[in-house]
Amino acid sequence: MTELVDPKDPAAGLAAVVALRRLADRLEDSQVEQAMRAGWSWSDVAEVLGVTRQAVHKKHARRLVAAGVALRRR
Amino acid sequence: MASDAKDVRALLVREARTVARRDGSRSIEAEHVLLALAATRTTSAARMLAEAGLTEEAIRAALDREWEQSLAVAGIAVRIGLLPEATPDGSRNPHIGDSTRLLLKRAMDASPKLGAGRLGPLRILVGILDTERGRVARALQAAGVDRAALRTRAADALAAGEH
Repeated sequence: MTELVDPKDPAAGLAAVVALRRLADRLEDSQVEQAMRAGWSWSDVAEVLGVTRQAVHKKHARRLVAAGVALRRR
Repeated sequence: MASDAKDVRALLVREARTVARRDGSRSIEAEHVLLALAATRTTSAARMLAEAGLTEEAIRAALDREWEQSLAVAGIAVRIGLLPEATPDGSRNPHIGDSTRLLLKRAMDASPKLGAGRLGPLRILVGILDTERGRVARALQAAGVDRAALRTRAADALAAGEH
């Protein structure tokens, strides 16, 4: 195994943190959308993400409705 | 004059908010302001950016490259262009993010001393370029742009009375 980040360059390591957060956000938005298009329920998505149904609904419902995704009832 | 400058600022924030929204971002960050600035075209700030090779398209490409390079630090090899897309939330109203707050502060601190309502595009550009940290600085570095030299050019033009 190699070291994850160069211990002498915290600037690069911190930039990686930001980049990973951006990546996680992008993946969450696209994959929740994908799941709901495939007919998943909010509860199923919430369970996989390890958050409450309310949390995932609050974060994504408006966007997905606007995107024309046919949502199953919660 | 003063009201013109205010208009420019309002326009910039509105444009930057649109850019942020399309980006799926929950906040308006420095990179969105930079893209909005490049999109103004007619301003001397946009001209200066274009002369340095920083068109909107080039800035987007540089930001993606920065993202890829920073992910690579954490051992992740992805092509941003191959990431799955998410439909952006058109109704979302991104708030002013911390990096934007910081660049506005730096813009206001730049010399010459700021008169009332004279926060024009060139001053905002100086504020954006006035840091060696963060995503914009890293993106410019990834694009091979001499940020410090560009900052000096923008600051000189600002001192010479351009705005």
